[in-house]
Amino acid sequence: MQALDRLDITMLVGYLTLTLVIGVIVGRRMRTGLDFFLAGRRLPWWAIGFSLVATDIGGTDIMGVGGATYNHGIAAGNFDWIGCVPVMIIAAFVFVPRFYRMKIYTIPEFMERRYNAAVRIALTLCWLLFMAFNMGIMLYASGKLLEPLLGLSQTQCIWLTAILVGLYTFTGGLAAVVYTDVLQCVVMIAGCLALLVMGINEVGGVEELHRRVRDVRERQIENERQAVVDAGGAESPTARVEHLDLVLPVNTRTPFPWTGIFFGLALILSPAYWIGNQAIIQRSLGAQSEFDAKAAYVWGALLKNLIPFIIAVPGLIAVVKFPELQDGDKAIPRLVAEMFPSGLRGLFVAAFMAALMSSVDSYLNSATTLFSHDLYKRFLQPAATERGLLIVGRATTVALTTWGIVFALNAAQFDNSGVYAIFQTLMAFFQGPALAILLAGMFWRRATGTGAVAGFLAGVAMSVSLYTVNQPAVYTAFGWEPLFQIQDPYLYFSIWAFLTTSIVLVIVSLLSRPTSPEKLADIFDTSKSTRGTEP
Amino acid sequence: MTPVHQLGLWLREFMMQIPLPIVRGLFIAVPVVIMVWVWTLPRGETEPTDHPARWDEKLKWIATAALGAQIVIYCTF
Repeated sequence: MQALDRLDITMLVGYLTLTLVIGVIVGRRMRTGLDFFLAGRRLPWWAIGFSLVATDIGGTDIMGVGGATYNHGIAAGNFDWIGCVPVMIIAAFVFVPRFYRMKIYTIPEFMERRYNAAVRIALTLCWLLFMAFNMGIMLYASGKLLEPLLGLSQTQCIWLTAILVGLYTFTGGLAAVVYTDVLQCVVMIAGCLALLVMGINEVGGVEELHRRVRDVRERQIENERQAVVDAGGAESPTARVEHLDLVLPVNTRTPFPWTGIFFGLALILSPAYWIGNQAIIQRSLGAQSEFDAKAAYVWGALLKNLIPFIIAVPGLIAVVKFPELQDGDKAIPRLVAEMFPSGLRGLFVAAFMAALMSSVDSYLNSATTLFSHDLYKRFLQPAATERGLLIVGRATTVALTTWGIVFALNAAQFDNSGVYAIFQTLMAFFQGPALAILLAGMFWRRATGTGAVAGFLAGVAMSVSLYTVNQPAVYTAFGWEPLFQIQDPYLYFSIWAFLTTSIVLVIVSLLSRPTSPEKLADIFDTSKSTRGTEP
Repeated sequence: MTPVHQLGLWLREFMMQIPLPIVRGLFIAVPVVIMVWVWTLPRGETEPTDHPARWDEKLKWIATAALGAQIVIYCTF
């Protein structure tokens, strides 16, 4: 792949400098833990809205969704369409206002106020582990893509990204994360939009893209069928072209059957992410008013409609231009290298770095908040001052950045099924159970702490069991068939984990002592609204 | 073949009986239902209460645009 030239490097350095300047300027206002973790509750809706979208679209998405679209088609766009927009609107008017009125810092804090300390610890540890591993995966992705573009080694690229993100997150906390996210979102959209427009132009327009994708896939499917026949296999009915459909049948050859997308993604993983993910919800808790917290989600949902067009459709363009690629994750880098002129390559690398940094900084800041509030202040040092929490927050930022670097440098051994699949599998393990206890806690007065702990553990155990039983080494050892017919069945794991948690939670709650009305009043008395602009 | 496998096969067969156009209708119905619900919300829940709402603060309209785009997308692809 072509290395960046002087103009590209100028654009890239300009972007990185601007990011650091914003982070440092915002960081000058840091005085307390509230400033560091929730930006002093001064964030406007437009900044949070951009930040929500930027956080959601990581470097793994640009590479992973483009790659998944190359391999499986536009159905990968479901993750940003039905997997985001509907639930963001519901979250804006139902969940976000309730969290905001409670003046909480974290979702585990909500869990303790609703249930008990055990639920808080369980969720805190799960989220900390998830975010720490996720940060490492994202940094690893940065090394993978930046290595050929920057002409640096993978190790150097990982160090460069981690130090930049760590520096402004250390300095400015959530405010720096959110305001740099605004810049990063704009750069990311600009870079990806340029790729989309140039790509469609090069293949001859939208209609031509549609026609050529269908031609290429029909040819590939016919070749695959012929290869099976030539090898002495039975002649099977010709498979249909699925690259241009969002809604795919249960027996699809892709990992995106409609059952998984609708029940696993839209009904479980998506609400778990937009309602229960600390990295997402934290920026709305830092809003300057309840209205700003809501408006951020609604505007974010509108912007989300654009995202699959700019990050998934380039994968289809790559199908037309490079139909022979073995690794879908290489589709977007190759497209950039072959289509972009000097200057624009720098813009795309900046866009990729922006997407990556905007996600890593959010997970870094949220993991720091979880450690500082839900472990350090809650259990280790309850008398900690706001100033002391600021120091702990910054120290944790340094420690987590170091961890992310170490993980990323050793992550190559995990990368045998694509970075996006790893990310989704990690999410599916506990997000379904976490959503079940969150929903029960918000809408069912009879749910108890004992029921929540039992349900959560049962749900996670179900996820891990399904994952284990579905490993080829395990099911062949027992002489079984695979439990799931599709590759990467993480969407199905989440459904079963959610159902298991719900059933166990209901049974154990009904068998245990009800929660006191005083404790429930804190959660269910949401009649008092703080609309308008008051802090 | 364990009972869990049999349950999985039964569910799979059952889901495969549902025609794809019906499924597509389900994907379109989700944003439609949410859009209708948004319009039932009181104005105080969707606009600032301390000053007259600007166009960008009328969240019912913004939500309608976001969900309307979803309907168009799932009707098209």
